[in-house]
Formats: sequence, structure tokens, C-alpha cells
Amino acid sequence: MMGRAMVAQAKRLLPVAGVLLLTYPLWPGASEYVLHVMTLALVYMVLAMGLNIVPGFCGLLDLGYVGFYGIGAYTAGLLTIHYDLSFWVIVPLAALNGALWGALLGAPTLRLTGDYFAIVTFGFSELVVLFLTNEIWLTRGPLGLPGIAPITLNLSWLHPQWYFEFYGKAPNFYLAALLVAGVYFVMTRLEDSRLGRAWYAIREDPLAAACCGVDILRYKVIAFAISAAIGAMGGCFYARWSMFLSPDMFKFWESFLVLCMVVLGGLGNIKGALVGAAILVCLGELLREGLGAVGLPPETRFMAYGLIMVLIMRFRPAGLFPAIAASGRANPLLAALSRRIAAGDFAGDRGDNRDTPA
Amino acid sequence: MTPLLELDRISKRFGGLHALADVSFTVACGEILGLIGPNGAGKTTLFNCISGLHPPSSGTILYAGSGGLMRINGRKPEQMTALGIARTFQNIRLFNSLTVLDNVRIARHCRTHANFVRAVLRTRFQRAEEQAIVEAAMERLRFVGLAHHALADAGNLAYGDQRRLEIARALATEPRLLLLDEPAAGMNPRETRRLVDLIQAIVATGVTVILIEHDMKLVMSICRRLVVLDHGTHIAEGPPAAIRENPRVIEAYLGRGAVHA
Repeated sequence: MMGRAMVAQAKRLLPVAGVLLLTYPLWPGASEYVLHVMTLALVYMVLAMGLNIVPGFCGLLDLGYVGFYGIGAYTAGLLTIHYDLSFWVIVPLAALNGALWGALLGAPTLRLTGDYFAIVTFGFSELVVLFLTNEIWLTRGPLGLPGIAPITLNLSWLHPQWYFEFYGKAPNFYLAALLVAGVYFVMTRLEDSRLGRAWYAIREDPLAAACCGVDILRYKVIAFAISAAIGAMGGCFYARWSMFLSPDMFKFWESFLVLCMVVLGGLGNIKGALVGAAILVCLGELLREGLGAVGLPPETRFMAYGLIMVLIMRFRPAGLFPAIAASGRANPLLAALSRRIAAGDFAGDRGDNRDTPA
Repeated sequence: MTPLLELDRISKRFGGLHALADVSFTVACGEILGLIGPNGAGKTTLFNCISGLHPPSSGTILYAGSGGLMRINGRKPEQMTALGIARTFQNIRLFNSLTVLDNVRIARHCRTHANFVRAVLRTRFQRAEEQAIVEAAMERLRFVGLAHHALADAGNLAYGDQRRLEIARALATEPRLLLLDEPAAGMNPRETRRLVDLIQAIVATGVTVILIEHDMKLVMSICRRLVVLDHGTHIAEGPPAAIRENPRVIEAYLGRGAVHA
């Protein structure tokens, strides 16, 4: 009872904490560094929500998610440098490019199950890094892509003074928050829909799902494409925010990190993905400082992530938020149904009326 | 009688194993056909062939669709479901972490249409469809007597309730042919009686049922016609009384020599 009261208390404080965090850039003496970390956490929230679709909703282990992140980032970077396109045009283009590669990779390989699929996705992300490193004519290889213009919002057609450049931390922070809100909105709606239910059915029992009329391969490819599109959107923001890209930003470790976030939060739980991302990004920063202080290289933090995975699997295998298909429970349709059940509308309907004596 | 399903020399080989060898029989519209035979006779394999999970190695499956009898071999499970062939599983296969309602809602998949864009925008069409899905699902749950458990997790239901939930889920696909694979397995006598009533109520709505069952009392009481398989071959077919007396059937169940014992 004590625990439940505390959870209720924490839930009441949640909006307050949210407002405090969202207004942080406006505080006097707000640290640039903290704001940077918060923005980074928001980027990873987008990635974690995107990845969540494949292992969380569909139950397929995806070890190559960072490949789509990289594709999105380089799509945005190159389009900005060569064609000077606006961020607002690039976001849908990067998402489409991500979805295209997701579908191209998914269509032939999603027939594979379990570990085999994981290996293919792993190979794919390595392929993306190799491509980015070696196709120097396009990506400048290991030199990276410097000088990507920051995001601008050109509303001068409305008012001559309305031309904004997203320099500095605060505007990017709010843009990232907007992106997280948008992806969260889409994800909750998808989760509580025919599409989301088909995904959960595949995760729970593919064979039974097929017998319920779900075209498994088709819905896996859709999941993979949407997941890739969200990853690419995250990359797109990242490119215009950091203004520099290099192939080693998209190494396998990033996939593993995002997967850790999803597993820590609870596979298939959207809120869990958000919390997992926030925790691991903050932890990463703390470890970067802490490990340096004791003279260890910062890469040692990946051992800490590995340890977290082990501990989660041992003590809380379903993650911090184990509930799946959670958005559906808030749907007014179900609330109405739940009231009818509580009122005993179906009480006289337990099939006993057909109970005949032997 | 109008045939709903015609099996013509269906064979299924797994490597060197002949799970089914030239099995032929016809199922009439609106009947309850019992499919019996000792363990390993190939009954479930036959269901897997009809429901599209394992296409037959040879032979023809004819199904009375909208344009007369058509050949449906090799179609995928979801296509079979769309045609109106639904099934339950011998070892219960529910979506355990989802609610009872969600289990049945998923089965409305092939009869509904809302796509990605409509789900995100939550259009009027999508909301109306979601409402209709809940109503259709609740109707099936009331039919099997599980409506009051609609929001419970499927994995937490009692065993007999799980069996009936599988039936509700199959019914939600709007089948014309329902394949029940040992629905009474593990049920107590009271639950079995309820199941018999349920199956009869299903047939009364015009659904044709093929029933695999080891509970002979149950089979004999509700099936007018039985097909007996043994070692993948069709060994007998006819009304329960005749099957009970059939020496080949007795031999299949009790072994050679039992006939004259």
C-alpha cells in the first residue's frame, strides 16, 4: 500500500517535473552543458521510440537500428550542404529515405526469425558505416561532413522580421521536445489501432496471428519501415543540430545503446522507451565524468551498459514498465466498456444459460 | 447436400515421413464432422493443410467460395482466414499478455481496413470502425460467455475459459468453416457440457464445424458423421454407430486381434 501511495504521489508530481524541465532553458544561470545533455536525451527518446516498434511491438531483435539513424543524418547533411534545403523539407525526405531502406532491407530478410534476423540487421548497420567511410566522393569518408547549416525557420512571407535561426541551445532543445511529442503522439495512436494490434499479435504468437488473418511479413515490413523512418528523422535533427557528421558516430555501439534503453524501459512500452532513454543518456554523462576521474577511458562506460542489461534480465526481465498495449487502455471506448462490466451488464451472460444437465 | 470443402487425395510428407497419404473426403455445408483417430494419425496435420500453415505436398483442396468450388491449395493462413476458414489449436495459442478483448479484436483484422494514416489521424472512419470492432468482439465474447472477463489478461483465464476464448477469437473472423482441434482436452465434465452446447450453438448460426476430439462420448453425441484417420490414411467414414462397429477402426485404436477378442 505504501508503495502504491508513493507511486500515486510521484504521478501527481510528474507534470510539475515536466514543466520544470521544459522551462529549464529560461532559468537564469541555466547551464549550456545540461541543456546539451537534455537535448541529446530527447534525440535518444526519438530513437528509442522508433526502435521500440521492432523488438517491442513485433518481438524481432533489431541490432542495426543505427544504420537508419546514419542514413537519416547523412541524407540531411548532404541535402543541406549541396542543395541548401530547409530543415522542414528535409525531415520528410529523410524519413522517406529511411523508410525506403527499411523496406528494402526488411522485405527479403524479415522471413528470417530470431537470431538470424538480428545478424542481418547487424550486418546492415556495419554496411552503412563502411559505405559512409569509403564512398569518399559522396560522404568525404572519415573526414566527415563539417559545416552543416543550422536549422532555420523562414516565415518572412508572413512578416518580414520572422526569420529565425536555431543557433544556441534553447531553440534546438524546444525543437527536439516538439519532435519527441510528435513521435510520441504518432506512436500512441498506432499502438491503439488495428496496426498496433497486428504487431502485438505477431510478437505474442506469429502462427496464431496468421490464423487471425494478419499478413505477418507485410506487417513486419511496415513496422520496420516506420521504425527506420523515425530513426532517420532522429538522425536528420541530429545532423542539423550538431552541424558535423562522421561515420564513427554511427557505430554498432549506438544500436546497442538504444536497444538498452528500450529493454530498460520495457519492451513494447512507449513511456518506458522515454524513461529508458533519459536514464541511460544521463548515466552516460555521469560515467563519462566519473570514469575519467578514476583514470579509465570513457569507452569503459559500455561495460556499465552491459552490466545494466545483465541486471535487468536477472531482476526485472520485462523492464521498468512491463505493460504492453498500454495506450489502448485509455481509449474512451474501453473506458465505456469497463464501466459496463463494473455495472454488471454482462453478469447474467456467463454462458450458464446454455448449461444443460447431462 | 452442398459441399463446402472437398479434399481430394491430400498427401503431406515431412522428409521421409508420410504424415498424410491420399486422404479424400467431403464436408457438407452446415454439418459437424468429427475427425478421429489415434495419436499421430495426422488429424492436426490435416488441419494445418486446410488452414494454410503447411500446404499439402500433393492433392487438391476445393472450397466453395463466392464463385463455386475453387482450388485453395498453397494459400497462406491469412488468405484462408479471409476466405472464411478459422481454427483453434490443440495446444492453446492465445496472445497471453494481451487482454481477452484484444485477442478477439485482433481476429477482426481481416474484416476491417483502417490503415496507418487513418490510425494516426484517427479519422471518423477509423473511430467508427474501432467502435464496430469492439462491438463485434463483445458479441463473440458474450456468445461464448466471457464478456465479463473482457478486460482481463488472456493468460490469466482459467483453462476452460482459454479454450472458449480461442473459439471466440476464431468466430470473430466470421468463418464459414471452423476447425476445432481437441477443444475439450483437459476440460472437466461440466466444462465439456458447456462446450457441447457452445458447438451446437455455433452450428445453429450456420457455421460448418470439423471437430478433432478424443472424447468419444462428446464426438458420438454431436457429430452425425465421422471420418477416421490412422497412420495418415483415411480408414473409415460414416455415422457414429457404424464407426463404432467398424473392425478397422477398432483395430486402429486397440490393435490387431482386438476385433475378435
